[in-house]
Order: sequence, then structure tokens, then C-alpha cells
Amino acid sequence: MTVAPVAIPEAPAPPGRIRHWLRSPVGAQVTAAVVFIGAWQLLTLIAPRVPGPIEVVQFLYIEITGGSHGGIVRGQFFQHFAITLQRFSLGLLIGFVGGLFVGVLIGVSGLARALLNDTVLVLLTMPAFVWAFLTTMWFGITWQAPVLTVAFTTFPFVAINVAQGVRAITPELKHMSTAFEVGRSKQFRHLIVPAVAGYIFAGLRFAIIVGWNGILLSEWFSGQAGVGFRTRYWFDANRYRGFVGWVIVFIVFIVVVDRVILNRLQKRAFHWRDASEADFIEIEERQVGL
Amino acid sequence: MTDTVAESIQELDQAQVLRTAAGSRRRRYLAVVLGWLVFIGLWWLLSLWVGSEARLPSPGRVFQEIVIILQGDFWTQFWASIVRVVAGFLAAVLIGTPVGFFMGRSKYWGNFLQSPVIVAGSIPGLTYAVMAFVVFGISFWGPVLAVGLIAMPYVAINVAEGVRGVDRRLVEMSTAYGRNERQVFRHVTVPSVLPFVFAGVRLSFSLAWKVGTLTEVFGSSKGIGFQIRRNYQLFNMPAVIAWVLLFVLFMLLVERFILVRLERRLFRWRQWERDA
Repeated sequence: MTVAPVAIPEAPAPPGRIRHWLRSPVGAQVTAAVVFIGAWQLLTLIAPRVPGPIEVVQFLYIEITGGSHGGIVRGQFFQHFAITLQRFSLGLLIGFVGGLFVGVLIGVSGLARALLNDTVLVLLTMPAFVWAFLTTMWFGITWQAPVLTVAFTTFPFVAINVAQGVRAITPELKHMSTAFEVGRSKQFRHLIVPAVAGYIFAGLRFAIIVGWNGILLSEWFSGQAGVGFRTRYWFDANRYRGFVGWVIVFIVFIVVVDRVILNRLQKRAFHWRDASEADFIEIEERQVGL
Repeated sequence: MTDTVAESIQELDQAQVLRTAAGSRRRRYLAVVLGWLVFIGLWWLLSLWVGSEARLPSPGRVFQEIVIILQGDFWTQFWASIVRVVAGFLAAVLIGTPVGFFMGRSKYWGNFLQSPVIVAGSIPGLTYAVMAFVVFGISFWGPVLAVGLIAMPYVAINVAEGVRGVDRRLVEMSTAYGRNERQVFRHVTVPSVLPFVFAGVRLSFSLAWKVGTLTEVFGSSKGIGFQIRRNYQLFNMPAVIAWVLLFVLFMLLVERFILVRLERRLFRWRQWERDA
């Protein structure tokens, strides 16, 4: 702890609409973005090999519009992106369905839990690049390698979350609904689905973050197309503006999907939950391993 | 008389509870062991079906490889990785703690740093690994940088949470009894924030290890990640799986026996608080 016990200066509060806006949450975030881009630009002055923000934007423009990067190399944004999305969705589907199945099994039966829990933990601990290597050694440079990398990396995260959700169904409620002769299908709809849905959704979110990392790694090491492959292509060609451009693309993709779309959906769909439970999921989420 | 009857019934009940508890525990251990046997058995059958050591070696073959590694350079390689990851975590704590402190103390800085920290937390590990390689080449510092960058947002978010959670009443009381700001910081703020620093490290622990080994894949001449990559390039499947299994076992053991215990000790005072 090297922090000096100083009072943190709040931004001063002079009159004026602009200053007022600058102090608002949005103003603070915009300031942060401007400071970040400014710092990046400054960095290029110190280290000339680092591509600046303008260069990167120019590169992305050419790459997306399919213009010429000089010579016969043309921009190929959508081809690579579409291929990656296809593989990603297929792998995610396999991992999700498998995880759902095993998760329910572990959650429902103590025997299944004792049998399978450690295996799932081992899979959870395996780094994604290991799956990229193993699938390449099994299938060579094919489409199966990235798809299976995504499936293997996402599976344990879904399984663990679903199992947790199934075990979170309160037995008291279940006994009560049985005692009051609530029908099976009604129990399923009003008790089991609401209890598990939040966990399944949380599991899906982890799976998307983890799987995205997995597919990038797999394509980087053994792709012949795709986002990871294209990133590596520019890296190997020593064109760092291309590398940084694609890195920004795949970061923006995951931030938009996870933070903007899924986070909002989750908040809207599960707003009836009490705050503590939402916090719990939020904290659990940070246990994600890539 | 009635008392002794009641007591003996109670004793009987207790004995039965204990016996069934022991029985169910024994059954659970059995099932866990059975789970491992099933896992290894399935692996063995699959390896027989595949029939190629280069694709899927049998469990026995991998075990041989593990023994060879354990007799050989297991400790040198693991130690290299451990030192780097620990150095990376130190860097993450040194930078993340002040950042989190600012975020928790002031609303403005909280808003200012919120998006950068969230974005930094969702960047795929590949980015950090390649970046570390570009900046440092094949060097000791690459994995340190990557681990530091990946763990920093977690430490910052948790410390911010901790600072926000510092008990206002304690601070007020300390001020009322004439403690100066430095003393309040030393005896109130630090002890209540410290567990949150640890929580940040704990939450990012497995993630940071994975990115650390990934960085070793790119730019290192030592460490677990480098060993996995070397054997991958040699197409030595048994050795790849052996190193991966050793890594996984190491991680699970550290989590279960070191981190969980440390966590309990660090948060023990809160348990007391709750009991009181």
C-alpha cells in the first residue's frame, strides 16, 4: 500500500454549462476516451513503430471497404468476420447444449455430481491455447479445430453455472408446490425455469467471452481464414497498423456483445431479482478464466 | 429417569446421524474416485480406438511422461513460471490499488475510470500475450507485463468496492476521538480494503495464470507455456498432455489448499463481526 492519505481532489465546480457537463458521468467518460486517444498519439511520438490512431482508422477504412492496401493485397473484412462468426456460433451451440445437459445432471443427482464434478473442474482449468494446440494436432488446419476449441472452452463454464442454478432451486418452494398440488408443467414454468434461467444466461455470457478468446487463439495458431488468422497475417507481415486495427475490431465486438447487448438484456429480463442476487452473479462473472 | 431415557435416545440419534454422515461421506468419496476411474477408463478406451500415440496417447503413456518430467526439469520450469506470475500480480496490485482507491473515493474518478477498466477486463488474452511479446521480445518481463495487465482491472474494481464499503461510522468515530487523517487511513481504511485487494488477486488468479502461460508460448525460453509449445512443435502429444495435466493439477491444488485458506484467514475478522 503506497497510497498517501491525501484527499482526492474533486473536479472544481465553477459555473458554466460546459464545466457542468464535464463533471457529469457522461462528461467524465468522454474525457477518459479523449485522454486515452491523446496518450496513444503521444506514444507514437516517443515510439515511432507504434501505429497511431489515424493510421489505424485509415487501415480499417481500406480493410472494410475492400480497397487496396498497396499492390494486390485488398481489404477483406467481411469474409473473415463471417467465417469466424459461423465457426463461433457452431462451437458455442455444441458447448452450450453439452454444458446444459451435464449441468442439469450434476445439479439434479448427487451421484452425477460426484462422478463428473472433478472432470468439469479440470476442463475449466485448461487454458484455451491448449485446446487450440490439441485440436490442431487432431484435425490439422481445418474448420473443425476452431469449432471444437470453442466447444471445449465453453462447455465447462455453462455446465458449472447451470449446475449452480439447478441446485439453487429452493426445496421449500418445491415441497410447498407439491403439497398444494401444483401441476408438473406449472411447477416447471413458474418455479424451475425462473430459478435456472438467470444462471443459464450468466453461463451463456461467460461462454461467449471465453469462446471468443478461444476462437481467436485457434485461428491465430492454425487458421487459414478468420479474424484470428487475419490478425496474425498482418502481424507476420510486420504491418502493425493492421494488427492493431484487427485487435480493436475483436475487442469492440466482444465489448458490444457482452456489455451493451447481453448486460442490458440480462438486467431487463431479470430485473425482478433482488439486488444482492444480481451482485452475486456479477461477482461470479469475474471468476471467468479465458 | 425420563431424563436418562431422553438422553439415551438423543445419543442414539446422534450416533445414527454420525454414522449416516460418515456413510454418505464415504459414499461420496467412492463416487469421486469412481469418477476419476471412469474418466481415465474412457480416455483409455478412446486411445485404443484411435490407436495412434501421436493423436491420443493412453493414460499409461502420459503417466510415464509425467514421471519423466517430475524426475527432470519440472521444478525449474514451474519455478520460472511462478516467479513471473507472482511478479505480475505484484505489479497489478501496485497499480490497481491506487486506481481502485481513486475510483472508490471520488465519484468523478469513478466515472472517468469505469469504462477503461471494464474494457481492459474484456480484452482477450491473446492481445496481451502478443503485446508483451512485441514490447519485450523473448524475455522475463513479457509474462510479467501480461499478468499485470490482465489482473489489474480485477484488483481495481475490488479495491473500489472496498473503499466504498469502508464503515462511515468508524471513520466518524475515529475523527470524533481526535484521530488525524493518517491514523484513520492506517487503522480503518487499510484493514478494511486489504481483503478486497486479495479478492481481486483471487478472482483473477486462474485467468492471469492462463494468460501468463500463453505469453510464455509466444516469447519465452522457459516455463510451462514454453514447454507445451515446444512439445507441440515437436508433435510430441504425450508430453503436451503431461505438461497440461501437471499445470491443471498445480492450479487446482493451489486454489484448494493455499488460496481458500488464505481467504478464510483474511476474512476471519468479518466472521467474528457477524457472530458478535
